[in-house]
Amino acid sequence: MTVTTERNGDVLIAKTEGRVDGTNAKDFQVLLEDAIDANETAVLLDLEQLSYISSAGLRVILLIAKSLRNQKAKFAACSLSAPIREIFEISGFDKIISIHDSQAEALAALR
Amino acid sequence: MSSRLCLKLETRLDELERLTVAVEDLGQRNNWPSDFIFQVNLVLEEIGINIINHGYDNGLHEFEVTLTSELKSLTIEIIDAGKPFNPLKDAPSPNLTAPLEERPIGGLGIHLICSLMDELHYQRDGGRNRLTLVKRRDP
Repeated sequence: MTVTTERNGDVLIAKTEGRVDGTNAKDFQVLLEDAIDANETAVLLDLEQLSYISSAGLRVILLIAKSLRNQKAKFAACSLSAPIREIFEISGFDKIISIHDSQAEALAALR
Repeated sequence: MSSRLCLKLETRLDELERLTVAVEDLGQRNNWPSDFIFQVNLVLEEIGINIINHGYDNGLHEFEVTLTSELKSLTIEIIDAGKPFNPLKDAPSPNLTAPLEERPIGGLGIHLICSLMDELHYQRDGGRNRLTLVKRRDP
């Protein structure tokens, strides 16, 4: 699993690649927490290259979403594969996290 | 024709990787769609992690996973000698409608298992948890 970050205007884009499971979810959390500054105003989690995620990884995404809400920053996720989107929906994440089909669509919504 | 995989795993997190590789191999040999492999792996990880993290107070222990792939369904049986745990009764259902600020962290594993599998049966016998799960394949 790797997380690479880039900036597009005010939006921090964190691209996650590979598997996030019970064996590496803690690393995923540390990578995201290190990438996100306390004064960040908008974060986009690009999941196009994410091949697998289980509840351990969902837990981290929920923690990050809560923490960004606390610092009044916007948060969205984009480009989920069909099985991952289904997992998000089963977990009720589509009700609390803004999910977009593409990075362009997400960036437009975050601005 | 049915095809079977039986694994004995130790209660260590890195054993989950061995399980994933074996399940992917079984899935490919039996022409499971990639979504089906994804969901089966997820269910097995959720159950395995519960046993590894909560099944025992200490020490390394063994648990058994058996998968039987048939034309129309997959049956998974997991047996462990850890603390009694009935996922149908002993896990609180997560709140999936609370707003972000009030959404509790965790508790999604069992909910995912129940949502992704078609049948769940739990039995405690001879000091062992025996969980049997069935997932049907689309016609």
